[in-house]
Amino acid sequence: MTTTSDRTVSRRGPSPQRRKLIITAYILITPFILVFIGMVIAPLLYAGFLSLFQTRLIGGEQFVGLANFGEALTDPLFLGGVARMSAFLLIQVPIMLGLSLFFALAIDSGRLRGGRFARLAIFVPFAVPGVVATMMWGYLYGDDFGPIAQGVRSLGLPAPDLLSSELMLFSMMNIVTWSFVGYNMIIMYAALRAIPTELYEAAELDGAGAVRIGWSIKIPAIRPAIMLTLIFSVIGSFQLFTEPRLLATIAPNVIGTAYSPNLYAYTLAFTFQDVNYAAAVAFLLGFVIMIISYVVQLSNARSGGRS
Amino acid sequence: MTSTITARRKQRDPRDRRSGLLTGLVWLGVAYFLLPLLWLTIASTKDNTDLFSTFGFFFGDEFNFFANLESLFAFRDGVFWRWTGNTILYAGVSAVGATALATAAGYAFAKFEFPGRRFIFSAVLGSIMIPATALALPTYLVFANLGLVNTPWAIIIPSIVSPFGVYLMRVYAADSVPDSLIEAARIDGASELRIFVSIGLRLMGPGMVTVFLFSLVGVWNNYFLPLIMLSSSDLYPLTVGLAQLQALSTGGGGSTAVFSTVIAGSFVSILPLVVAFLYLQRYWQSGLAAGSTKE
Amino acid sequence: MRQNTAMKLGAIAAVTAVALAGCSAAEDGPSTSDFDTAMSTPTEITMWAWAPGIEAQVALFEEAYPEIDVVLENVGQGGEHYTKVRTALEAGTGAPDVAQFEYQYIPSFVLTENLLDLAPYGAGDVEDQFTPWTWAQVTNGDAIYAIPQDAGPMGNLYREDILSSAGITEAPVTWEDYTAAAEAVKADSGSYISSFSGNDAGSFLGLLWAAGATPFTYDGDQTVSVSLTDPESQKVVDYWQDLIDRDLVAVDPSFTDGWYQGLANGAYAGWLTAAWGPAFLQGTAADTSGLWRAAPLPQFDAADPIAGNWGGSTLGALSSTEHPIVAAELAKFINTDSAATLAFATEQSLFPTRTEVLTASEFVDQESEFYGGQRVNEIFAEISTTVDTDFQWLPFQDQVASSFVDTLGKEISERGDLSAGLAAWQDAIVTYATDQGFTVE
Repeated sequence: MTTTSDRTVSRRGPSPQRRKLIITAYILITPFILVFIGMVIAPLLYAGFLSLFQTRLIGGEQFVGLANFGEALTDPLFLGGVARMSAFLLIQVPIMLGLSLFFALAIDSGRLRGGRFARLAIFVPFAVPGVVATMMWGYLYGDDFGPIAQGVRSLGLPAPDLLSSELMLFSMMNIVTWSFVGYNMIIMYAALRAIPTELYEAAELDGAGAVRIGWSIKIPAIRPAIMLTLIFSVIGSFQLFTEPRLLATIAPNVIGTAYSPNLYAYTLAFTFQDVNYAAAVAFLLGFVIMIISYVVQLSNARSGGRS
Repeated sequence: MTSTITARRKQRDPRDRRSGLLTGLVWLGVAYFLLPLLWLTIASTKDNTDLFSTFGFFFGDEFNFFANLESLFAFRDGVFWRWTGNTILYAGVSAVGATALATAAGYAFAKFEFPGRRFIFSAVLGSIMIPATALALPTYLVFANLGLVNTPWAIIIPSIVSPFGVYLMRVYAADSVPDSLIEAARIDGASELRIFVSIGLRLMGPGMVTVFLFSLVGVWNNYFLPLIMLSSSDLYPLTVGLAQLQALSTGGGGSTAVFSTVIAGSFVSILPLVVAFLYLQRYWQSGLAAGSTKE
Repeated sequence: MRQNTAMKLGAIAAVTAVALAGCSAAEDGPSTSDFDTAMSTPTEITMWAWAPGIEAQVALFEEAYPEIDVVLENVGQGGEHYTKVRTALEAGTGAPDVAQFEYQYIPSFVLTENLLDLAPYGAGDVEDQFTPWTWAQVTNGDAIYAIPQDAGPMGNLYREDILSSAGITEAPVTWEDYTAAAEAVKADSGSYISSFSGNDAGSFLGLLWAAGATPFTYDGDQTVSVSLTDPESQKVVDYWQDLIDRDLVAVDPSFTDGWYQGLANGAYAGWLTAAWGPAFLQGTAADTSGLWRAAPLPQFDAADPIAGNWGGSTLGALSSTEHPIVAAELAKFINTDSAATLAFATEQSLFPTRTEVLTASEFVDQESEFYGGQRVNEIFAEISTTVDTDFQWLPFQDQVASSFVDTLGKEISERGDLSAGLAAWQDAIVTYATDQGFTVE
């Protein structure tokens, strides 16, 4: 995601003019960089430092090197969380982005009645905080009083228990999908609107159908936008926290303390006061996210090169 | 502004091109996105008993909306209003700060060549992937030493760092501020900062609004950071306050069931943002168009 | 009540503790003039508590000591509250002076030396005001770590209408009676006798407590013992396994909206709960007013009834406080002042720990319409006298509670093998304790 279109104004050689430019640049980035160092880099280094120690309730703190990382890599609670989030990623992200793309293309095609309203309606859930969205769906999922179960029962079918351990992950996927389809759709839609018309006017004149134009002209044209949403979705799904934490109050036996790695790190740090191990878990989590994002970008670059 | 951002296609003739199937599918989707909100609206008019005993998409035996509001606003001497005020304060200040920092940095990254540019920018981009929990605890400990935990600063300062905002503003500045304009101003003898303020800021306006909205929503909806940083309920934003209110019903000993109050609170709390969203929607689009067409 | 050796030793230790505490208060504690100076110096003191309406008690304190300004914060309930307290302690700043602690959390704050020993501040003087078993929960050797505020001796709340329709006209006295009632109710109305929940370690431990088990001990230093699989606990698990296998009891998690629903609509014909339960139920199942009755817990041996406790809180002062005299006095005042404690009992529905309130007619003579005119308080006051005093907690009760959910709790909610769950729970706790450097006996 580095930009390739930098048209920077620069003079070669150490002229006074260039020095002035460099000073200006530093003045402009300094406020951001200061806060960035204070709020991102320093805490990160501190967390890395903390992860090298171990504190026991009896015996206190001691340096253990990378032992916390070794422990996390064999910790079934951490690995279970990572596995759950991987499943989340593989199932939820394609569905969500697929829906986003579908809605973006449909609305952009102009072949829709009430397209403007639809766009607003689909986007609105993004304005609903995760806390509220989760509470709300928690009620909707209710086995006895939830309208979903009521509806299914009124058809004479057995209602699925959406808060059971088998279905919980899917129920969470639904909440996240509901919240973020609109957001991703807006990004894709914005990109679609920015495609120069000339790109497909010729195809239209040649009689190409909307589906064909969508598939072979529009989607490739907004590939960067899709990549952006994909990367953000990858990062987002591994950081799942609000949904499991709040749903744990209505399905405590299903969720526990390590449902997602983020929730696990939080519980370790703030409930069990095991700051050191929590830091190691959070670090490993960041590492997993980085690898997956990198793989995604790499595979994009490969297939992008082919087409 | 250059053509790629603002290009509007020539208005095509929409007649005879509408598809019934497509309309049906999209409207099915619309129903999926709106029905939960409809449920919330209806549920906010019910008392605890009706909430659990009547059909979700139909009104209960009694219209309890105002009674729910009353109990919501009366809860701990009206702490709900404080939560709302806090949310507006945190989100507003953070968004202004994040936009200012991101705009300045983004412009510098786009328009100047300086030592370390590539490295710093990569570091900023890479930081998007750091999980919030990795930073939360050390940040908490640092803030505690500075005496900043349990103050608004503990929410605002971390929130004004927006790496994505910097990325967006860099792309936007590269696209929307023509180099020729900058050169012309230089020849006229304007200082670099003056060029940034008088030309850059003006042309980057729509991008700034986008970053502002992003940050605003991000902070408004944030739960994790205030959960960790704040202990006085007088300082809570709506998210943490509502979650705490909900936990009152599920906390075991000494609990009180306040489900209907929580639901009314949820309903009321999302109204401002939903309205703002609908009103400001076009800004999302224009700013994002830039960010999402570059790679 | 059984008189075993441990208990006798405990009693001796308690007596010695009081004697020693008396001495040390005289020698090391603040003098009367120190006390008077501290209480008449303008001071701001912070208290974190979630007890509903505790503002009233704080007001009484501020009336008695006009120079002291108490800043009351509610930072959440239960787990959230302790998380905040610990995080603030860890950070070394922002912790309150006084905080609410449930009994089971006291040892974990003793372990980290965060609780102020109140003995030098004259806390020993108020011991005889409290029921012995609540006092036993806040002391360790000579030290007094908190002042009991309320308690939760366990009883049985049940729907008289559902039981009598099934031909059960007397509250079950023994667990066999309870099983019989469960069968009859299930056959008659299809209701479960109650929900045996797998998400709350507290209520399960209360049942172990009522079976005479002492699954945990902690010596206040580095040694713990965990004996969850001893015969008393096994007996409890076997009992519920039978009801679960025969589908005579629900296994829904408690305090979830579905569970509230079950209590309100008769899906459960009863609730084995603590003394705070009656008022709680009244608030959540208002439509069933008059149909409920209260009774003691069923017993394994009706001739020798034992009760357990579930919940209840104390106020403790944190050792980090800069105003130890004021903090100690605040904790003590709120929980020993006659007007304050009577208000807790009669207006805020917190079950008393002071014998004076437990026998006050304003409290015991209250007739409750919701329970068909029964004097519910009197019933629970009676139960309170049968609570076993031996029960102890581990100094890492958070881990105990969360591993319960992952092991035994999971087996309960899935109607699985409870004995295996119990053994897994035992293992998880022992492993954790060993890892943390405790000596496990």
